[in-house]
Order: sequence, then C-alpha cells, then structure tokens
Amino acid sequence: MYAAGIDVGSTQTKCIVLDENRNICGRGLRMTGADVMKASRQVFEQACELAGIETHEVGYTIGTGYGRFRVATGDDQITEISCHAKGAVHLFPKTRTILDIGGQDTKAIRTNERGEVVDFCMNDKCAAGTGRFLAAAAEVMGMDVSEIGPASLQSTQKLKITNVCTVFVESEILNQLGRGKKREDILAGVHRSIAGRSASLLRRVGLDEELTFTGGVAKNPGMLDAVRTRTKLQVNASEDSQFMGALGAALFALERELAGANRQEVQS
Amino acid sequence: MSQSYLHQGSGQKLQRKLLGDWYQNLQEAPQRGEKVAYLFISGNIGELLQACGFHLVYPEVNALQCGIKKVAGPNILSAEDLGYSGDVCGYVKNDIGLLTGGNQMPQGTVLPPPDLLVCNYAGCATYLRWFEALAEFYQAEMVVVDVPYLRGTDGPTAEEKAYVERQLRELVTVCERITGQEFDPEAYRQAVARSAQTEDLWVDILQSAKRKPSPIDAYFEAVFFMAPIYVMRGTEACLDYYRAVKEEIDERVQRGIGPLAREEVRILMEGPPAWPHFRRFWEMFKKWGAVSVASTYSKVGGVWDLGFRHDPDRPFESMAEYMLGCYTNRNWGMRSDMLKSYAEEYEADALVIHSVKSCRSFSVGQADLREQFIREYDIPTLFIESDLADPRYFAEAQMKNRIDAFFEALKHRRVTAQV
Repeated sequence: MYAAGIDVGSTQTKCIVLDENRNICGRGLRMTGADVMKASRQVFEQACELAGIETHEVGYTIGTGYGRFRVATGDDQITEISCHAKGAVHLFPKTRTILDIGGQDTKAIRTNERGEVVDFCMNDKCAAGTGRFLAAAAEVMGMDVSEIGPASLQSTQKLKITNVCTVFVESEILNQLGRGKKREDILAGVHRSIAGRSASLLRRVGLDEELTFTGGVAKNPGMLDAVRTRTKLQVNASEDSQFMGALGAALFALERELAGANRQEVQS
Repeated sequence: MSQSYLHQGSGQKLQRKLLGDWYQNLQEAPQRGEKVAYLFISGNIGELLQACGFHLVYPEVNALQCGIKKVAGPNILSAEDLGYSGDVCGYVKNDIGLLTGGNQMPQGTVLPPPDLLVCNYAGCATYLRWFEALAEFYQAEMVVVDVPYLRGTDGPTAEEKAYVERQLRELVTVCERITGQEFDPEAYRQAVARSAQTEDLWVDILQSAKRKPSPIDAYFEAVFFMAPIYVMRGTEACLDYYRAVKEEIDERVQRGIGPLAREEVRILMEGPPAWPHFRRFWEMFKKWGAVSVASTYSKVGGVWDLGFRHDPDRPFESMAEYMLGCYTNRNWGMRSDMLKSYAEEYEADALVIHSVKSCRSFSVGQADLREQFIREYDIPTLFIESDLADPRYFAEAQMKNRIDAFFEALKHRRVTAQV
C-alpha cells in the first residue's frame, strides 16, 4: 500500500511517496513552471520510479500548495499550512511551532502533538522577506542561491539591511556594495533582516517548545543560523525540509487510504 | 438555500426595487427644483435632512454599488490620474473618479450635484477631506457636525450629547436658508417614530441568527438587507421593507431553513466585505458551510441591537445619541466587548476579521483584536486582508489559502475535541 503527497509551490513542485509504514520511499522535485499539471505529473512519476513502483500502485494522493487544485492525480486537496504541521510533527514529534519560508510566503504555524494546526500567521500580501527575496539578493550578488547562506556565515562585521522588499533589495545591496561593504557582511544582514521579520510572525502564534524550520529556505545554513540566533531556540531542520508540505500531504493521504481499507474490510 | 419557499428572495428583490426608485427620484430632484444633501452613512441624520426638504445622496453607497458592479476599479484609476495616491481610501477615489466622469452610476442614474454637504461621520479624517474636495468641486456649502469619539466605556456623556444636539439645531437654520423652506418638526418627529419601529424589526431580523441553524447570514445577506435602514430610514417604504424581510425570515425559521443547505460553522464577521469580489468572497466561506451569525459591518449604520432606539419624544437628543454611538465611533474596548458578547449570545465557533486597506477607522486595532480573541478568549480567529472598493487588493489564491487552512484547522479541532 502506497500513498503520495504532491506540493505545488510557487517556485518548486515536490512529491513524496510513502509506504504503509510511513517510510519515505520516493521523492520527486522540479521547478513548477507554467504547466502545473505537467509539473505535478512529472514529480509523481519521478517519485514512483525512485520508490521502484508503478504509479497505479499509489492508492491515494493529496495535492497541496498553491497549485493543489491542478494536481493531475490528486484525490483531494489540503492546504500546505496543515501539511507542513503534519510533516514537521512526524519528523520532529516535539515540534509545537513551525516556521515555513517558501518562495512567496512565510508562515508561522502553531501545532499540537498530533500535528494539527492550532493557529497560523502569514506575511502580508507582498513577498518581502520570503525565499524570493533571498533569490533576488543572490542575483544582485551574481551568486547561486545555494551559495549565499554559507557565504553569510563568513561575515565578520555586523551590517544592518533595513529593506526586506524583494524589489528594492537590489538598490539597497548595490548601495552597500558602493559603500565598499563586504559581500558576506551584506548577506548576513539580509539573513538577519528576514529572521527578524519571521520572528515577529512566530511571536504572534507563540514560540512554544521546539521550533521546526521547513520550506526550501530551511536548507540555507545562513538562514538557519540567523533564525537560531534571533529566537534563541533549538531549531530543527531536516534534509527533507523542502519536502515537508508534500510529506504532510502524503501522511494525510495514507491515513485516508488506511481508513478506506478498514472500511472495506468491515463491509466485506 | 436548501429548498424553495413562499417569500424566497423577496428581501433581495424589494431592496433592489427600493434602491432603484430611490436613485430615479434623486436624478429627477433638480428638475423639480428640489434640493439635495450629501451625507455619510454612519450616524446619518437622514430623518432630519428630509424634514428640511432635502433629497439624500450617500457617496459611500454609490461607491459600494460601483464596487459590486465592477466599475470601482476604473473610477479609482481616474482619480489616481488626477494625482490621488495609491494609499487614499478607495471609496473616496471611486467618488472622485465617478464625478469627473459625469457622475453616472453603473445602472444609468445621473447623480444630482449637492446643494449641501453634511460631514456627519465621526472617526474618519479622510471623510472630512473627501467632502472638502466635493465642496470645492461643486462650490457647495459644507457643514461639519463634530461628533466626539467615545473614549470611556460608559457611552456618551450628557455634555457630549448636548454638544452634538446643539450642532443639529444650528444645522436646521442652515438647511432652512438653503431650501428656503421651514423645517417641519412634526414631519421629523413622525419620521423618527417610524425609524424606531423599523429598528425594532431590523433587530428582530438580526437576532434571529441566534437560532440553530441561523435563518439568515448576518453578514453576506445582512449587508444587502441593511441598505434601506441606512439610506431611507424614517420613511414608510423603509418600514414596509423590514416588515417584508421579517416575513421572509420568519418563514425560513418555520421551515428550519438557513442561507446554506447545511450550517457547519457559525462565524462572527468583523470588517466590511470585499465588494468588488463579493460573490467569490462569499463562496470561499460557503464551501466550508460557514454561516455568519453576527457581524459588525451590519451595524455601521447604527448599533440598535444593544438597545438604542430613536425616540420621537426626544428627536434631537436621541439623534445625537445615535450619532455618538455609531460603531466606528466606539473605542476598541467597546468594539471588542461587543464581539465577545456576540460570540456568547450567538454561540459562534470563530471570529473572521476582514481587514480593508481603505478604511483605517475600521482596521486599526484589528491585529490586537485577533490576539485578544485567540489568547484571552480561546476563540479561533482568522485575519484576512483586501479592500472594500479597490479590486487590486484582492489576492484570491492567498485569501482562499488562508480561509481553507483556517477551516481545516477548525474542523480538526472539532473532531479531536469529540474524541
């Protein structure tokens, strides 16, 4: 018995396939692009291939993320807010607060021990301080987005970046470079600025017990460090942080599939 | 609606007819040599101005009509072309765009120019500037009724009431000069008496939402039902209208039907609706079986359910009390207490705050309200943002995501509470 979760985010589409013991047996990842249905189908096929199974062996699939209603193989849809909570508590059972920084959204989620959402808060409608902001900063620096986190950790001088606007960050960074400031110091400032913004969202839902950092940005060590410093908390992050929404969706899908199987057994 | 019934839709149909007639009558007023006053909804003094012989224009109502009819966007852009900033209230910009484009409403009525502008609304400095702009454009006379903001929690003081009442009496002399007609105190008294009767009916209608299931959506439906008591209160037609709505609601009660086929969640709504996307906005709640059992926006024209009534024996004094007690003239402690009592009396499961960019009077303090409801009262609260006039501030995917996540969590909370 297998179940899948497909998370169609604004930037990337992710898929997780679980076996009946809730073990991850396949992952799929690609840029979302304009064709959401195609992206969701491809990550699903990729994850099934890695799991060594045929797509029809997956009994139930749940779509999540902004493109959740366009998931080609989806049986149902659940928001990524519920899915991130579910996934985070599965991987780190003591999680009570979740910070999810994705391509366009930053979310602070409070959960209970069962991975159910108790409260959540999101950034306002602009993409200030989200993954897109970091990507814009990387672009101005002529760096790959994967390089900026490690570079920020090399900072020796504290520098304040006041702007978190994804559009205006470019001129702010150019201004700092023009003033002769070092690249790693500027980047550390950029990371601190996002951490500050995220911390205020987290405080609104309440910073309880363990904090788990999810979403693509959690793979950035500079961001992880900035969030730890700012919140003064132990921050969990997994190798699968960017798959957390897909994992949560797959867990919901597996629960549905198991419930369905139980119903059938009772009926027969 | 789960089944058809005798009075189905009569409230909506009659409302459309009443407003249609109202606008038609307005359009023809200048030809008949009759005078026109512009005024605001909250704490409006319609009965008084009508007794002075004025026809009434409510630019806010025009703005929301333009919003629903999808012409607010172009009107707002016209105002921005003139130099109004992106941050200025969408209602104001809609009105400026509307008048520079010939003052023709989407249904075709051409609005008459004002002979008098009465800024009767407390709590919004922008509205004052709005009427100043209109006064300059039309070269019309403007009167500001200064309504002190309620700072204490015990309601208006005797001095505050006397202060507002004196201004109303002064206003009457201005009206008499403009219309050349003597104020008719008996007509005013009778209008105020009809207002009180209408208010009784409206309160009954709103309070029917205490039933389970609620026969009415006290936000998405009430915002249509409320129009006559806001714009033509004190008239016989208005009183008849609420008798008809009451009949429709009573029939729903008898048959046990509500606005949705199934009431899953009972919500409180704070803030104005997203007029330019009204249907889509409502659909996002319908999908979850969410029925609004009480709302604050249905009280912006008057908070009658807490006991206030216009009083024909004290027509000026009770009008002053009414103006002072309007929803956005209440301090945050009062607003929050009102919502808290609604949560209890209407047995609501959650609070939804729709914060609008245009109206700071409404929105400032809502973030604190959310914190208070979650932390102190343990009432799940959703915070969403868009606008009441400017269609550009409505981000459908983001809003839908937040609403879906909120109701998903609420559903989980319920299921787990039963285990």
